[in-house]
Amino acid sequence: MKFISSHELIALLQNILNEQILYAPVLVGGVELYQEIEHVEDIFWNFTRPGKSVKEVVFPQTETLMVIKESDKNLTVHENISNEKTVIFGVRPCDARGMQALDSMFFHTDPIDSYYAARRNNSVLIGLSCSEMLDTCFCTSMGGMPDDPSCMDIMLTVVDDGYLVEVMSDAGANLLDGIELSDKAIDKPKPPIQSVVEVPEVENIQNIFASKLWMQEGERCLSCRICAYVCPTCRCFDIQDENLSSANGKNQSIRLRCWDSCSSHAYRQIAGGHNPREIKADRLRNRILCKLKYYAEQYGPQACTGCGRCISACPVNIDITEIMGALMEVEAI
Amino acid sequence: MIQRPGNDSLQPLIGKLVQVQDLAPEIKMFGVELENGAGQHFKNYEPGQFAFISAFGTGEAPFGIASTSDRGNILEFAVQRLGSVTTALHEMSEGDHVGIRGPLGNAFPMTMFEGKDLLVIGGGIGAAPLRPVIHSVLDNQEKYGELNILMAARDPSLHVFHDEYESWQESNNTNLHLIVDQADDNWEHDEGLITELIQKVAPSAKDTVAIVCGPPIMIYYVSKLLNEIGFIGGQQYVTLEARMHCGIGKCGRCNIDKTLICVDGPVFSMDQVDAFSESYL
Repeated sequence: MKFISSHELIALLQNILNEQILYAPVLVGGVELYQEIEHVEDIFWNFTRPGKSVKEVVFPQTETLMVIKESDKNLTVHENISNEKTVIFGVRPCDARGMQALDSMFFHTDPIDSYYAARRNNSVLIGLSCSEMLDTCFCTSMGGMPDDPSCMDIMLTVVDDGYLVEVMSDAGANLLDGIELSDKAIDKPKPPIQSVVEVPEVENIQNIFASKLWMQEGERCLSCRICAYVCPTCRCFDIQDENLSSANGKNQSIRLRCWDSCSSHAYRQIAGGHNPREIKADRLRNRILCKLKYYAEQYGPQACTGCGRCISACPVNIDITEIMGALMEVEAI
Repeated sequence: MIQRPGNDSLQPLIGKLVQVQDLAPEIKMFGVELENGAGQHFKNYEPGQFAFISAFGTGEAPFGIASTSDRGNILEFAVQRLGSVTTALHEMSEGDHVGIRGPLGNAFPMTMFEGKDLLVIGGGIGAAPLRPVIHSVLDNQEKYGELNILMAARDPSLHVFHDEYESWQESNNTNLHLIVDQADDNWEHDEGLITELIQKVAPSAKDTVAIVCGPPIMIYYVSKLLNEIGFIGGQQYVTLEARMHCGIGKCGRCNIDKTLICVDGPVFSMDQVDAFSESYL
């Protein structure tokens, strides 16, 4: 297999940093996060699974979609499309699959979302195989693997003194252009595999809908929405305008897009206050069934990659794998 | 990857308010003319479709288009003041700029309705998306059978299109039936619920299609009654409302099961609605 030594990798990242934006895992106040870095030394190499996914690099938590300028006679709308070349280093396979799920909706389903597409088309993913699975990880149950290179541009796997390299796309090859990779006569190390959770087929939707499970689990949900924020595939968004101060007789405002979550009470509320998803049980059911059924039916890939972040982040221990287990029993009825 | 603003991106077209008219307390009709040739996007929009109106600096919200493309280039929207965007619109006047995205969503299958008697049932501001259906039928009367229009509102002042009632009533083969929850001394029509008005009109289900728009609870009881009268689900069409941000199938807000109201609707037959696992109520 192709091999790159640790110091060659650092040199590569330094080269990238000289010309492009580089996101990498860093340690911020004890929390692992993907952030834009200024120095290669800022990279936190012993990272496991950063608290938020790489989703926000291509689908920011808040982004300015357009700037609107208005004078007495004229109104102009300028779209804010980002064309910055970006490399994300240290992507985990679960997050790369999450990005693939977002791709299927944002730009493989018409109409293309031009804001997402511009960021995505300018992004190169350098993946890093996981050498351990955390207690909450279950990618292997969702069709993934801790060393799955399939959604990466370049996949790295740690071995002695360096990394095995799998080049998965033209964009990945371009990034390595001019670098002599050596050959190493070793096999890719066997990935760690966590015990497998059974995933329900969700065919018997009537029984599943009527299950008491939603009431039991939903009752303790706080509607805090952290599950959606850490999720690599949750993609619901809100659009809001913000008025900037007017200058020279011109009004200026910006239109923002920010993350949203179906767990919020106001999510399905319509004008006049009517709310078809008034109770938390109904909102939890929608979230889980979107993950296990709706998203795949609408766009192709399943919207859960088994990263397990929602399990770790939930303040009241709502666990999607436990819910899936309970749904298996409902299915069997 | 160049996109047209309007109906396949989040970028709005720019329009100017050319008409602002009071329809009822807290309800105004806004006429919008699109600028710089953008009107071509709305050349052939159909009854039942919707559009987003931007009040820049406040936000944008979706509204059923209340006009028909056959009657001219001005897009009309009947807007009730309920939230921040509608309040900002209500504070605007003729000459002000707005953003428009559309036409979005599907439409009433008007060609499928040809040759049939029509029962158009609206409640309150729900009359707005039905107005283009009514205009379309009145402008093409040779294609349709009898038109019965049943309009309900909480009180007489909330009958939004009362200015047009006379012309509707006087049209051939057309009957207008009105009801209010709460009558006043001058009210000459019925008082009660829309279901009572339907019972009074006693429509036959034979070769008839019902087209319903109103609050979810009204849709529920009207459909229940229509089922009893003998209308099957495929003879009942409704438009559903949802909070939405994009209108193009991306933001996720308007789902019922895997159905997105913005792109799969807003018009559904009751067959489709009854097949949803999740309630629209």
